[in-house]
Amino acid sequence: MITFDHVSKTYPSGNHALEDLSLTIDKGEFVFVLGKSGAGKSTFLKMILREEIPTEGTVTVAGHDVAKLRKSEIPYFRRQMGVVFQDFRLIPTLTAYDNVAFAMRVTNVPEKKIKERVPYVLELVGLGDKCGSYPEELSGGEQQRVALARALVHTPQLIIADEPTGNIDPELSFEMMELLTAINSVGITIVVVTHEHQLVHRFRQRVITIDHGHLLSDTPAGEDFKEAVLK
Amino acid sequence: MNSSSMRYLSAQGLHNLARNRLMTLAGIGVLTACLVITGVATLFAANVNSLVAYLGSQNETVVYLDPAADDTTTQNAYTAIMAVPGVKSATYVSKQDVLDEYKSYMEEYADLWDEFQNDNPFKANYSVVVDDLDNMQTIQAQLETIPGVVKVSAPVEMTSIFVKVQHVVTTAGYVLVAVLAVVSIVVISNTIRLSVYARRKEINIMKYVGATNAFIRWPFFVEGVGVGLIAAVLATGIVLGAYYGLTNAAGTLTGFWQTLLGDSVVPLSKVWYWIAGGFLLGGGVIGGLGSVMSVRRHLDV
Repeated sequence: MITFDHVSKTYPSGNHALEDLSLTIDKGEFVFVLGKSGAGKSTFLKMILREEIPTEGTVTVAGHDVAKLRKSEIPYFRRQMGVVFQDFRLIPTLTAYDNVAFAMRVTNVPEKKIKERVPYVLELVGLGDKCGSYPEELSGGEQQRVALARALVHTPQLIIADEPTGNIDPELSFEMMELLTAINSVGITIVVVTHEHQLVHRFRQRVITIDHGHLLSDTPAGEDFKEAVLK
Repeated sequence: MNSSSMRYLSAQGLHNLARNRLMTLAGIGVLTACLVITGVATLFAANVNSLVAYLGSQNETVVYLDPAADDTTTQNAYTAIMAVPGVKSATYVSKQDVLDEYKSYMEEYADLWDEFQNDNPFKANYSVVVDDLDNMQTIQAQLETIPGVVKVSAPVEMTSIFVKVQHVVTTAGYVLVAVLAVVSIVVISNTIRLSVYARRKEINIMKYVGATNAFIRWPFFVEGVGVGLIAAVLATGIVLGAYYGLTNAAGTLTGFWQTLLGDSVVPLSKVWYWIAGGFLLGGGVIGGLGSVMSVRRHLDV
């Protein structure tokens, strides 16, 4: 699903964000990406989303070499994935329903399909009764679930979650992870960037750690993640 | 883009017009002012052109013929005059016609003029109307080379002044229109930029969910074109209303002013569609360009 092959990224400022990083994430995997602030996690995600391209090496996502994508192809490439952000990025003037529908409306989906699909995904994330609520009327956890519904609405092959539990209570964080695990169980690849080690320990999924742009460790699913590597 | 998406995005653009009320009003106000100034400059230039053409037609060039010229030479001279580029018409005026004209000017001295009946000192001539005032001097030189022509009297200096005034007014008009177009684009661009800034989060989300640039631009394009068209309608009303008043006032002029201005004022019926069409097209294009320029920077995500 995702391949980083000897990828390096140096920004015009001279900052070496990634250096000779190589890894593969298979279709249907659930992967945690851990790293300190400035380790290169954001650049790693930006490469997957084709916000940035590597200075050296190749990044392949869903069969596409991101550096070779034409500008006009990027929107269609991004429709294959869903993104969840730490700050939810919901539009405050739209209801939960319209926030999810927004993702479909701006991608040319007919209104009839929107009316079928949006209530279904909101139901899926447990917000079937909150369709008419505005973001400010929802808790942090509920807002994040609306964001997850928006990410799911295009039936993506891949979901990228950037610190999805950063702004919600610990118990809600577990609920969110359980939801992501359920989504993963139907074959959708999940990449979660987080700094919450508790979650990583509890869910025992594959853990990739990045430090100073290098791959520091890669712990397979089911094995105990050794925190020592980050110290 | 399917029709439901088009409707949704267009509605978003119109909604933005209302949401950013103050900036929309400021944008409409400044663009209306720019269009009004452009319209006034255009009408002024059109009327100067019309006045110059009118005055040019009132100052005929006289081509004097050799008194010894026979009929064939006179006829050939006519053909040669009409072949000179820039000549619109030529009318033969015989020696007798000239004498009669002078007699009609000074009827109290009719007896005196009768002395010339048998010894007419005037020269037969062609009264020539030139429609290319820019090249009056060249035309005069060409007319002088025609066989049978002894002298050409052309209002070269006067025409040259008219033509210079016409050129200055036309050039100043072009410069003014160009400057105002740039000012208008900057104003619209800034109006839309605030709207874009207020909606940068939505633009960012649109990019991540896979919206194409055309989809992202459309609401802002609708907003910009909306501001442009509203300003165009207002400016059309102001300029044409004022011009209607002016042309009516010109119609009431008498004497010298009637002769000078009354006959050369470009009627409203000949300009209203140019002004209205130009404003709608200009307002729409300026609004559209201004909005596209403001959004471009936010599309590289």
